[in-house]
Amino acid sequence: MIELQNVTKKYGNFVAVNNVSFKIEEGEIVGFLGPNGAGKTSTMNMITGFIEPTDGKIIVNDYEISKNPKKAKRQIGYMPENVPLYLELTVKEFISYMADLKLVKRKERKAEVERVIKITGLEEVKSKLIRSLSRGYKQRVSLAGALVGNPPILILDEPTVGLDPIQVTEIRSLIKSLKKQHTILVSSHILSEISQMCNKIIIIDKGTILRIDSTDEIEKTTNDSTEILVTVEDPDNKFSVINRTITSISKIELIEENDKEKTYKVDYSGDTDIRKTLFKECAKQDITIIEMKKKQSSLEDAFLKITEEGGKE
Amino acid sequence: MLAIIKKELKSYFYTPIGYIFIALFMIVVSFVFYGFTFTQRYLNFEYIIWDSTLVLTFIIPVLTMRMFAEEKKSGTDQLLMTSPKSIVSIVLGKFFAATLVVVCALLLMFIYYGILRYFGNVSLIEPLVAMLGFLLLAMSYISFGMFASSITENQVIAAVISIAFFFIINFLQNYQGIVEIFSLVSMYQKFPQGIIALKEVVGYISFILLFVILTIIVLQRRKSVK
Repeated sequence: MIELQNVTKKYGNFVAVNNVSFKIEEGEIVGFLGPNGAGKTSTMNMITGFIEPTDGKIIVNDYEISKNPKKAKRQIGYMPENVPLYLELTVKEFISYMADLKLVKRKERKAEVERVIKITGLEEVKSKLIRSLSRGYKQRVSLAGALVGNPPILILDEPTVGLDPIQVTEIRSLIKSLKKQHTILVSSHILSEISQMCNKIIIIDKGTILRIDSTDEIEKTTNDSTEILVTVEDPDNKFSVINRTITSISKIELIEENDKEKTYKVDYSGDTDIRKTLFKECAKQDITIIEMKKKQSSLEDAFLKITEEGGKE
Repeated sequence: MLAIIKKELKSYFYTPIGYIFIALFMIVVSFVFYGFTFTQRYLNFEYIIWDSTLVLTFIIPVLTMRMFAEEKKSGTDQLLMTSPKSIVSIVLGKFFAATLVVVCALLLMFIYYGILRYFGNVSLIEPLVAMLGFLLLAMSYISFGMFASSITENQVIAAVISIAFFFIINFLQNYQGIVEIFSLVSMYQKFPQGIIALKEVVGYISFILLFVILTIIVLQRRKSVK
């Protein structure tokens, strides 16, 4: 359980995090979403006790981080942004040092290090120097460092940044597999990633929380879309004036043109889907429809919409 | 604290830093040894130790410059500071690890004592006390070097601050008053005579404590300022 109560962080006059409150229940995997510089890392650094909030309270599994830092920090495994590692150590030495730092008992340390090496898939490289590893492996080592000691809470700051697509998928499924045993807060500015991994999303921009909701709910935000994308073959340019016959169309906009094909964005008003009508009308007027689709709402759109609205206020 | 000492020692000896430190130290000690024993035909090992203290000005920063500057620059301080370890144990861990490297160097230096002992009749008390003083002086330098490393994320700046400060200390000899606590070099004078004077020992320990505490304060403060 992670709870933030009216947390504010100021750097001089600059407010990085402004009066943020949220609660993450046990077993949840929550996405922390926002553009670069939104205050994600600052917030995470405060939860992990790396920096102190200017104001507000942070409670981690019943321990307040400012009053009981030792116990609170034991609850957390943190994978910081930019994967800081001791390059001069081997993978095993590093993880074992992290186990040491996290007060894993001497007797259990060896087994614990082996366990973490196994689940992060580092067996092949465990005796290699971290310096010589590829970015993907370094990321795993960093994740292993967060996992060691089996802390109930994981805070992962941009865990997939800088990886190639295959590595991204690997790390992502690794994080997904941790879902059952840990409460996870994962930050990202890549939306598809969050929508795949998380069941709840916190959207933050300019230090303020814009929305906290389930992934599905947030995706629905833009589901009332009344836009259709149509690609047509229309040598006589009849499509651009099709709104004369279909009156519910409010706007037609040419967005792309190549050779014979033109792509239009069609806005309409009213609740009824006009795709059927549009299809029949085009057939009547001898316009060939190559492709037609209702614009799908994505997390991207929802995010843009939410941050735009947030910015206007 | 033990975990940090262990890791720091690994870092010293998995990288060239530990070896560079010991090598530089031994080169200077060897020259001093050669000068005293072969040129001037002295058999006083304590004087060799005394003269070797000057080299600390240049080599202690080799050990201390990376301590916190490097961690901050590479971001690994995030791993340390978010672990359940307290800042006090982190600082002390690093401090004692560097001290242990100096102890290694001192033990190597003792080979020369063995040589002198083999060929002549040399006393043991004065050299041992001189070494104790040497260690206290080195620890004082380490505490300042560590403090310098904590206030910047640039190792070179940390080293320059330390060397400059040690230089000034060398000029502070025999001043009275408030600067006395900083005149580390003149505090050393009694040790080669085989005297462990309370005043000097307390002087060194106060200096060490002062900068260890200042380092802790700097790191503590960084949490709320950063």
